Amino acid sequence: MSIANTLVPARRDTRALLIKWIVGLLVPVAVFTFVWSGEAIINNALLSLLGTGNVALGISLVVQLAIFILIFYATVITLAGYLVAADSGQRGMIELWIDILVFVVVPLLLVISLGLIIGFALCAVVWPLYFLVRRRVRQALHYTPPPPLQNLRILDAEQRADLMSRAIMGGFWFSIALAVVWLIADLIFYVSGALPTILLISAVIRTLILPVAGYFLGRLAGVIALRRTIAQKNGGNGESDTDRAGRRISKRRQLEELSTTRKREEARDLVPNDLPLRSTGAQRFYLILIVAFVLFYPVIDPFLFGFGTDGRLAGYGDAGYYVILALGLNIVVGFAGLLDLGYVAFFAIGSYAWGIIGSTQLTNILSLPPINQHLLSGLFWPMIIGAALIAAFFGVLLGLPTLRLRGDYLAIVTLGFGEIVPIVFLELDKYTNGPNGIVGVYAPAFPGTNWLSATPYYYLILALIALTIFANIRLRDSRLGRAWIAIREDEIAAASSGINLRNTKLMAFGAGAFFSGFAGAYHAAKLGLVSPDNFSVGDSIIYLAMVVIGGIGSIPGVIVGALAVYSINQFLLAQLDSLAADPSNPLFAIHNAIAHVFPGFTFGNIRNLIFGVLLVVIMIFRPEGLIPSARRRRELHAGADEQAEVGALDVVPGAPGFESEVRI
Amino acid sequence: MNVEQVSEHSGGPLLGLNKVSKHFGGLAAVQDVDLQVWPREIVSVIGPNGAGKTTVFNLITCLYRPTSGDILLEGRTLVGLSPDHVVRRGIARTFQNIRLFNNMTVLENVLVGQHTRLKANILGAFFRPPNVVHEEAEARKRAIELLGFFGSALVERQEEYVMNLSYADKRRVEVARALAANPRLLLLDEPTAGMNEAETLEAVKYVRRLRDELNLTILLIEHKLTVTMGISDRISVLDYGRKIAEGLPEEVRRNEKVIEAYLGKGTKAAEQESVE
Repeated sequence: MSIANTLVPARRDTRALLIKWIVGLLVPVAVFTFVWSGEAIINNALLSLLGTGNVALGISLVVQLAIFILIFYATVITLAGYLVAADSGQRGMIELWIDILVFVVVPLLLVISLGLIIGFALCAVVWPLYFLVRRRVRQALHYTPPPPLQNLRILDAEQRADLMSRAIMGGFWFSIALAVVWLIADLIFYVSGALPTILLISAVIRTLILPVAGYFLGRLAGVIALRRTIAQKNGGNGESDTDRAGRRISKRRQLEELSTTRKREEARDLVPNDLPLRSTGAQRFYLILIVAFVLFYPVIDPFLFGFGTDGRLAGYGDAGYYVILALGLNIVVGFAGLLDLGYVAFFAIGSYAWGIIGSTQLTNILSLPPINQHLLSGLFWPMIIGAALIAAFFGVLLGLPTLRLRGDYLAIVTLGFGEIVPIVFLELDKYTNGPNGIVGVYAPAFPGTNWLSATPYYYLILALIALTIFANIRLRDSRLGRAWIAIREDEIAAASSGINLRNTKLMAFGAGAFFSGFAGAYHAAKLGLVSPDNFSVGDSIIYLAMVVIGGIGSIPGVIVGALAVYSINQFLLAQLDSLAADPSNPLFAIHNAIAHVFPGFTFGNIRNLIFGVLLVVIMIFRPEGLIPSARRRRELHAGADEQAEVGALDVVPGAPGFESEVRI
Repeated sequence: MNVEQVSEHSGGPLLGLNKVSKHFGGLAAVQDVDLQVWPREIVSVIGPNGAGKTTVFNLITCLYRPTSGDILLEGRTLVGLSPDHVVRRGIARTFQNIRLFNNMTVLENVLVGQHTRLKANILGAFFRPPNVVHEEAEARKRAIELLGFFGSALVERQEEYVMNLSYADKRRVEVARALAANPRLLLLDEPTAGMNEAETLEAVKYVRRLRDELNLTILLIEHKLTVTMGISDRISVLDYGRKIAEGLPEEVRRNEKVIEAYLGKGTKAAEQESVE
C-alpha cells in the first residue's frame, strides 16, 4: 500500500467530497489570512524575531502569537480532515458552500469592517433573514432535507479503513491547497513590493511544511472521526449496558430503538453524518478555535482592529460579567424553573460586599484607623468567594417567602425584592454612603500586574466565566441538578419521588445568587465605585431577556444570549445617537426624517422601544432561544399528541380552594 | 439521608388508617375510613368514580392533611410529614394520570426516583469526589436493573424521552421510578387504566412479581373487577367517601351493598322480579 494509494483519491465520490470541503474551508481561512490579519500576524512576528521590520514585538508576545497561529492552522487542517471523513455525502456542495458563506464568511467580513460587537449584532439580523429566505426557497423547490440516521451505518473494517484514508486525504489536500494559495498570494505581494525578500524564503519553507503537517493532522482527524462511529462488534462504541438477565444491550440497539426526534439529536453525535459541520465532533474543533481566540485576544487585537485595544478590552470585560449573571440566573430560571424577576438584588449585594470591604468604607463605619490599601486589595481574591457566599445567603433568605408560590406570584415577589434591595442600599447611608455611593473601591492586587489597564480585568473575567461554566455543568449533571429539573417539570411528582421541595428550591436561589457575587465583586473592583444608580429593576429584566433569548436552561445558549443582548442593548442601541450624529451614516438621514414629524426625537428616547420590539420578534420566530437546550426545543415544537396530559389529582367536584389543600 | 431504618414492627399492620376523614370545605371526600394493610399483602381499594380512592392515596402520601383521624406506618404516624419525608419512610406511589418528567429520559426519570437513596449534596455536585462518582455509577446501574424488571424493552429505550413512549411503557417507567426509592409499601393508582386485555394481563403479572420477587406490600386502586378479584388478597370498597365493605374477593363480590354501589339501587329487586 504505497503512499500514492493513501493520498490520491481513487473514487469519484471521494474526489467530490474533497472538493466540497476544501473549497468550503479554504474561503473563510483565506479571508482570515489575507483580508484580516493571519498573514500580518505571522509576518510581523517573523520579522520581529529576525530583528528587522518596523514593529518590534517582545519575545513573549512573539511566542504567544506563534502559539495562536499554530493552534489556529493546525485546528483548521485537522477539521478539514475530519469533515471529509465524517461526511455521509447526502447533502450537496452548493448547499454547504452557501451555508459556509452565510455563517462564516459574512460574519467574518462584518466583524472586520464593523468591529466584533456590531458585527455580531448585525449577524443576529442577517441569520434569521437567511433562514426565512432558505425556507421559502426550499418550499418553492419542493425540497425537504432527508431525515437523519435513516440506516444506522455500522462500519466494518474496510469501511473504517476507508474513513481513515479519507481523513488523511482531507488533511493532506487541504493543506496543499492552502499552501499553494498562500504561496501564490505571497508571490503577488513580493512582486508588488509589499513583501520583504526574507519572508519569501519563509513562504517557501511554509509551502513545504504544510503538506507534511496536513498528512499527520489528517491521521489525527481520522482517529477522532473513528471514535464517533458505531463499530460492528457488540458494544464497540464505548459502554454497553447489561439488563437484568445479564444480556448486553449494545449502544447500537439503543440507537435503533429511539424515536425520530431523539434520533435526530443522536445523529449529530455520530459519524457518518449528514451535517458534519454541526456534528458534536466538529463542535469540539470550534471550541478549540474559540478558546484560542478568546485566550490570545489581547495580543492579536492590535492586528485585528488596530488602535484602541484597551477600550475594547474594557468593553469585553463588561460583557463578561453579564455572562456570569446570565449563567447564575439560568440556574434559578432555567434549571429549577423559578421565575426570578429580581436578580439585580444579588448583583447589588455582591457589589456592595466588595465595595464596603475593599475600600475605606469599612473602617469609616467601624471608626477604625485606616487599613493598608495593599492589604485590602489582596483580600479581593478571598472576597470573590466571600461576596458570592454573602449573595448566596441572601438568595436563600429572599427565596424563603416564595416557596409556596407558583408562576406569576413568585415572579411578583422576586420583582419586589429587586426593587427593595437597591432602595435599602440607598437608604442605609450610614453603611453605604447612600446616593453618593462608595468611591475609591480598590482594584485587586496581583504581583506583577498593572490593574490600571483593561487586560488583567479581561483575563480575570475569563477565569471567572470558566469557573462559572464549569460549576454550572457540574451542577446540571448531578443529583441536585436532576432534582431541579424534576421540580421544573412537575412539582407534585417531584415531591412524591422524595425531593424536598423547600430545600431544593432554596438551593436553587442560593446557587443562582452565588454567581452574581462573582459578578458583583468584579464589577465593583473594575468600576472603582458602587452606587445605587448602577442597579435598577430594568436590569433584572435584561438578565432575564439574556436567559430567554439565549435559550432557557442551555449553558451555551445563555452565554450567547448574554453577549447578544449586551451587544444589542448596552452597546449598539446606546450608541445610536452618537452614530446618528455622523452625516455619512444612514442613521443621520433617518433621524432627521423622524425628527420632522416628532420634534425632540432622539434614538435614546425609543431605545427601549426598539429593544422591546426585537424581543417580541425573537419570541415569535424563535421562542426556544438562540441555542436552545434540547429539552426546550422539544417543549415548544413537539406534536400535541406526543405530550401526555398531566392530569390533576382526584379533583373533588365543587371543592373550593382545591389546589391550596395540597401541602407542598 | 438514607431511607430510615425502622425495626420490623412485629405483628402489627404495615399501614393503618384510623377513622381518617378529609373534608374540602363542606364536602366530605373521605369519611371515617379504617384500613389496614399487612406486610406482603396485595390490597385493592375499589369503588365507583368519585368515591375518594385517590384522595385516600393522597392522604397516605401526605399531599393532603387529614381533617381527622390518623395514618400510621409501622405504628408511627405519618400525619404532618412532607411528601418527600413519606418517601423516606418507605412509601412510593404512581399516579392515575401518569406524572412523569416528560422532558427527561427514561433513565433520568428512574434516577430521580433514587433521590432519597443518594447522598450527594451541592458540594459533591461541584467537586465530584470519588465517592460521588461511584454513587452516580451505582445509581445508573441500579436504574438499568429496575428498568430490566420489565424485560429488555425499556433498557433499550433508556435514552428516550418519556414523552415519546407508548402509554403502557410510560406506566412501567412510573413504576420503575417508584421502585427506585426502595419502598416497603407501593401505592399503585389504577395501574391498568387505558390498557387492553393483553397489557392488563401483563400488568397483573408484574404486580404479583413485585410482591413475590421484591417483597413489596402493595395497595392498589383498580377499576377492572376482573383484575381486582384475580390479584387481591383483600379488597376494601369505598362509596361516597365511606368504606362500605371489606374482605376477601369472593365475599366482596357477593356483598349487596357493593353491587348496589356499582349498579345502582333496585338491582336486587329487579333481579327478583325477572326471576319470578
